[in-house]
Amino acid sequence: MARIQLNNIAKSYGSVEVMRDINLTIEDGEFIVLVGPSGCGKSTLLRMIAGLEPISGGDFTVDGKRMNEVPPRDRDMAMVFQSYALYPHMDVARNMGFSLEIRKAPNEERTSKVALAAQTLGLTKLTERLPKQLSGGQRQRVAMGRAIVRDPSAFLFDEPLSNLDAALRVEMRLEIARLHQRLKATMIYVTHDQVEALTLADRIVVLNAGDIQQVGTPLELYDRPANKFVAQFIGSPTMNILEIEPGEGGIRLKNGAALSVGLPDGQKRASELGVRPEHLNIVAPDAAHLSGTAELVEHLGSDTNIHAHVPGIGQVLVREHGHFPLKTGEPVGIAVDLAKTHLFDPDGRRLAA
Amino acid sequence: MTAIDTAAPGNSRARPSFYFRYMVEPYLYIAPALILIALVMLVPLVIGISYAFQAVNLLRPFETGWVGFENFQALWSDRKFWLALTNTFWWTIGSIFFQFFLGLGLALLLNTQFYGKRIVQALVFLPWAVPTFLSALTWAWLFNPTIGPLPHWLAALGILSEPFNILGDPNLAMWGPVTANVWFGIPFFAITLLAALQSIPGELYEAAEIDGATAWQTFTKITLPFLAPMIAITVMLRTIWIANFADLIFVMTGGGPANSTQILSTYIFTTAFRKLEFGYASAIAVALLALLLLYAVILLVLRKKLVKI
Repeated sequence: MARIQLNNIAKSYGSVEVMRDINLTIEDGEFIVLVGPSGCGKSTLLRMIAGLEPISGGDFTVDGKRMNEVPPRDRDMAMVFQSYALYPHMDVARNMGFSLEIRKAPNEERTSKVALAAQTLGLTKLTERLPKQLSGGQRQRVAMGRAIVRDPSAFLFDEPLSNLDAALRVEMRLEIARLHQRLKATMIYVTHDQVEALTLADRIVVLNAGDIQQVGTPLELYDRPANKFVAQFIGSPTMNILEIEPGEGGIRLKNGAALSVGLPDGQKRASELGVRPEHLNIVAPDAAHLSGTAELVEHLGSDTNIHAHVPGIGQVLVREHGHFPLKTGEPVGIAVDLAKTHLFDPDGRRLAA
Repeated sequence: MTAIDTAAPGNSRARPSFYFRYMVEPYLYIAPALILIALVMLVPLVIGISYAFQAVNLLRPFETGWVGFENFQALWSDRKFWLALTNTFWWTIGSIFFQFFLGLGLALLLNTQFYGKRIVQALVFLPWAVPTFLSALTWAWLFNPTIGPLPHWLAALGILSEPFNILGDPNLAMWGPVTANVWFGIPFFAITLLAALQSIPGELYEAAEIDGATAWQTFTKITLPFLAPMIAITVMLRTIWIANFADLIFVMTGGGPANSTQILSTYIFTTAFRKLEFGYASAIAVALLALLLLYAVILLVLRKKLVKI
């Protein structure tokens, strides 16, 4: 069990500073997902927590104890690697029990713990196999088993599902969620996949270019993104961003259309309007805020994505629930759910409505 | 265009029989390779071995012919042969032991990050590039107290009572060629083991570190198992090589003093080209071959049992 705190954590390689002033508190038993585009520093941050990368500045504490210089083996954290990093010369059972072997735990303890973990993960029949004789999903399970057997104070996952195919990824995601519910251990999970982040996390940390953009629950990030980056990163398909200027009784879009979106008091700095595709609707032309033509209609079965071209504004993506009878090239009217729009200032920061 | 084949398939064009297609045809395809191997390897080997069962002595050109196991009987009661066999054993063990462990140490050092690594790596290979004859001469001179510093250093360190040439002392002479051989052979182990070390995925070390392994545990439980296949094959090759390696000894001591550095390969050489007894030399060579084959088989069985990757 562990409460992990990062205070002003910094990371630099030589004179190149890649991370500065990272502040984050992870409560005991919390499932935290670090998410961001590649190169944003999420893996580096995880590796600093694991002790595989030296921390260049700030304090890293676990349950109040400073751990900056503690070697990985004394941090009591288990890690699941993207490549699984299974020991190829050891069978599944020995792979899972390796940490106990290292600690010279008695044989009975080792066998019983490994057997229990193998049972939980459905690996009982495979314990005598070598990693090369396993499929990708099975290897992934062994890597998780190796972490479970240790009963660590915190689990670290470094993009554990990115080498699996789509179907298996969904299955393993569920398994990880179940694991967290059962173990109630602190888990830190790195991914670039926002679906994984939204489904697994208690709280999500969105990173970009070495900076924390926002920390919050999945719904907070979805409903109240702190800035344009988070707004566009979270949610699929991506949020529409429309250029605006303040007008009478609200705002004016670039093509001249007025929307009665309440501007925060005294703030005339709103320069962009964000609205998610699911908060736009195709309506009759006379009830529409915007009108254009459907350039591409994607029928996904559960949803229909309509890529519309609106003169003077550009591409606007509308998402309708279910099957929506519309053909490419037809004229469309688009209504905006005014209560669910987001306003951003010229720096991309959210303006509280 | 009159030469068009009008025969229907399977009719007048003969189809090879089942027997021909499965029992004969494949061997026709590999025949060129087999014939080449037989010509360059098997034929000389068989002729060489056949000498062991003949009397071939250039000094007595008229007394040739098959003699059965006479050469081997003579070998059995040849005191010099047993001495050379014992010397071969110590020469091989001593050389391979120091070559391997120093080479492994060097490989581990080279596998870290430091400034000028590439140059050092290239320099390490240097002894390998020096002709054996030259390095043997150099080492012989280094051990010579009139021109070489080694005896004086050894005396200063108290290892030798006075600076004399150890190559002239029957009890110590073997250390001379062994030292030269170790110097000569370290690069081989260092380079091959370094290549094996570099092929170990770094994540395994990270995983082991997180699993709580100390540096020593990581070495024994990750590094060594990964090196094992390479260790088995290089130690085997080098052992055979060293047991057959006469150049250094021949140049440095010529097998002396009093046969104290005579190993089988130098004994074979002297028997064949000094005494011109080719038959007897062949018999010694066959005995060495049998011993090395036995060694190789044992090592390969061990490798199969121990190596899992």
